[in-house]
Amino acid sequence: MFRPVVPRAAPRSLLGPATAAQSTFRASNIYFQDRLRRGYASEAEEKDLVIIGGGVAGYVAAIKAGQSGLKVACIEKRGSLGGTCLNVGCIPSKSLLNNSHLYHQILHDTKNRGIEVGDVKLNLQTMMKAKETSVSGLTKGIEFLFKKNNVEYIKGTGAFQDENTVAVNLIDGGETSVRGKNIFIATGSEATPFPGLTIDEKKVITSTGAIALQQVPKKMVVIGGGIIGLEMGSVWSRLGAEVTVVEFLGQIGGPGMDAEIAKMTQKMLAKQGMKFKLNTKVTKGDDSGESVKINTEAAKGGKEEILDADVVLVAIGRRPYTAGLGLDNIGLETDEKGRLVIDQEYRTKIPHIRVIGDVTFGPMLAHKAEEEGVAAVEYLTKGYGHVNYGAIPSVMYTHPEVAWVGQNEQELKAAGVKYRVGSFPFSANSRAKTNLDTEGIVKFISDANTDRILGVHIVGPNAGEMIAEGTLALEYGASSEDVARTSHAHPTLSEAFKEAAMATYDKAIHY
Amino acid sequence: MPALSPTMTEGNIATWRVKEGDSFVAGDVLLEIETDKAQMDVEAQDDGILAKIIQGDGSKSVQIGTRIAVTAEPGDDLSSLKTPAEDTPAPKEKRAEEPTKQASSQPLKESSSAPAAKSSPPSQTAGKGSAAKAQRQTYPLYPSVQRLLRENGLPKEEADKIPATGPNGRLLKGDVLAYIGRIEGSYSVEQSKRIGELAHLDLSNIKLAQPKKEVTLEELAAAPQTPPVAEGLDVEIAIPISLKAVMECQKRVQESIGVSLPFSTFIARATELANEDLPQSKSEKPSAEDLFNAVLGLDKVAGKKFSRGQFTPQVTALPPTSLRVTKPLTAKQPDILDILAGKTPAARSTKASLIRGAEKLVAPVNVFSVSAPKGDERRAQVFLERVKSALEAEPGRLVV
Repeated sequence: MFRPVVPRAAPRSLLGPATAAQSTFRASNIYFQDRLRRGYASEAEEKDLVIIGGGVAGYVAAIKAGQSGLKVACIEKRGSLGGTCLNVGCIPSKSLLNNSHLYHQILHDTKNRGIEVGDVKLNLQTMMKAKETSVSGLTKGIEFLFKKNNVEYIKGTGAFQDENTVAVNLIDGGETSVRGKNIFIATGSEATPFPGLTIDEKKVITSTGAIALQQVPKKMVVIGGGIIGLEMGSVWSRLGAEVTVVEFLGQIGGPGMDAEIAKMTQKMLAKQGMKFKLNTKVTKGDDSGESVKINTEAAKGGKEEILDADVVLVAIGRRPYTAGLGLDNIGLETDEKGRLVIDQEYRTKIPHIRVIGDVTFGPMLAHKAEEEGVAAVEYLTKGYGHVNYGAIPSVMYTHPEVAWVGQNEQELKAAGVKYRVGSFPFSANSRAKTNLDTEGIVKFISDANTDRILGVHIVGPNAGEMIAEGTLALEYGASSEDVARTSHAHPTLSEAFKEAAMATYDKAIHY
Repeated sequence: MPALSPTMTEGNIATWRVKEGDSFVAGDVLLEIETDKAQMDVEAQDDGILAKIIQGDGSKSVQIGTRIAVTAEPGDDLSSLKTPAEDTPAPKEKRAEEPTKQASSQPLKESSSAPAAKSSPPSQTAGKGSAAKAQRQTYPLYPSVQRLLRENGLPKEEADKIPATGPNGRLLKGDVLAYIGRIEGSYSVEQSKRIGELAHLDLSNIKLAQPKKEVTLEELAAAPQTPPVAEGLDVEIAIPISLKAVMECQKRVQESIGVSLPFSTFIARATELANEDLPQSKSEKPSAEDLFNAVLGLDKVAGKKFSRGQFTPQVTALPPTSLRVTKPLTAKQPDILDILAGKTPAARSTKASLIRGAEKLVAPVNVFSVSAPKGDERRAQVFLERVKSALEAEPGRLVV
């Protein structure tokens, strides 16, 4: 009766080099240990909450749940926590953006400030190492927080077995399964591939490859002029690549960015050496040769042009990631774009399964995912959660930075709302002047009748930090007058923020 | 009926905790309301007397905005109060308090310093302001609000009487502007509604993805239904597979070591490989071992079950078109020996044809087909797809 047990315990999967590791023969005593462990796992107590995905949505929810006294387990297959954001997204790219900016500044700018530097050399390997140090420090930090808040961390790939059970294929081999009274899906997103180009992360790259190039490419084409494309384009442009950005729409920065701000930003980036082809679509690409050839033509039809590049960055957006999750086993639905369908409290049609982060609706932003992680746990423990989707800031960490919150002029025009605009240039701000960093403006949009702030749009130094004040103002329904009557320290960049508010309901003092 | 959550449309009144004629202070629980989600206490925002209960204990499905009770100022003489007619705004019970307030104490203040505009706003907001209600402003007033109050000679306490449209009932600049008649009264209410909508995810118009798998399942299910055939008949499943990669591989081997490998070797190896660990047949009876494992509870741990298949593909050079052809075999009778042996009948019947098919392999694309008993379609499908990937992707690995 036990004879056939061993071969079954070592399931051989067909042709899969990735799964080949499992097909190694196991000695029978190891098998029995394994079986004992598995037996234990299946009979272990049911968790209050099981979270699939240890990205920003998942890990924040896990910590919050642990703090609320729930028995919680978090399943992550990457081997380190923090998801795309920490491992291959926001964090590593910011490391590169900051350091490449320093490099660029030393090459082109410090001389004017009275700092003469001799031979400036780029050591890309060290720059990458600095990035990795930041990343590993932060991901380990989350692991520590898990321990501190009694979150069980399961390293493996989770898949639904039934509505309460998640089978986990462990990274270190073997399987287990966890049962949860509640389950959160927080599996995130992946870069949308460009049809016709095979992503190898060397010649044809996504953001993941863009933070790990081994050398600076001579020519780089960025397909998609959104935030990711412009940030990564900036990095390699500063380090010496000739970067061309191809964007289908008539403006950079995506549809959320205010058109006026987008135009200004484009000029500033062009001055730094980036080239832009707007209203241009990529018809096909050929990556068979040494270099990659990209065929483009005007979006409305027109002349064709072939761009040649060493590296092509595909940054046309991201799509929800649910592969291998076993959604079919529990009958959960996605919409046309692959987003899991939820209600306002993040519940799927199976009410104890909720979905948060990139894999469902709303902007794909780490801080939005974080808000949802907390809110979803609060719905569970308190019956009420708070996320204000009308006050979620967006930031592009180029130099100068671009940041906005609320609605832009295009959107308000489309909605037929009468509004007032007030703006203030950093060139009139004392601190920006002393920093010799005066590009950009702060722009307020407030309601023409009530003066309630509808949107704040900034391009300029430190815009990403400054937007927090605009977000707070929106959250509290403040008017531009309220901001203008609040004291801002002198001399700081934030005075430009205050003056722009003054310009909106009345007049700016220094302009 | 107060809206206790943004999605609430109606509610039931569980019990009134305060009786008619009783007075209460701010923070007292006035009543308990049941919604579809939860039961919640409604607390008094201000001191007062419960003048009249209109919707008593146990009232069901009371729409939001319907008057459920009338309250009065502390010290008011209830017998002399007239209940205002219910045309007015979405009165949370607090709301009902306002008119009574106005009736008694307001006129005195009104004559003092306020501009003429002041008497009209309540009616303005009352007319349309379904979402706005005045409430005690417990936070510091916004700078713009303070300025407007001062400039218009309104005392600070007046702020508590201005219908507030801000988040959590905060009093905004626009609310004061509306109150003093500078802008239309309904404007800030509408604005706050518009902005309130932005605060939520737009989950309207969700277009569900068409489930991909269903197409094939439907095909599979529909196919046997159309012709009136008896159950248990075999289904033939076919899939086109390109042998280009195999031919290339064959050439490479020939060139490098001078051995000519026949197609049948590749196909046999691919078949061998693809037969491993197929999803378990639906018709298959659990073995003694399976039952034993089930007793131990091991079946739940092991996840999906697999078993070795017995398929042998039949190969024919390409008839053009359709990607996936499914048609029932009409003629074949299930062989009693096969049933006894627990074998897939296809295994035997197609063996001869495999060799025959292998000889005609000239076209780079060939159709591989197997016939499977009903219930085993999925198993056969998986098998064929594996053969396809084995032959098309890396045929070299089959013979190394």
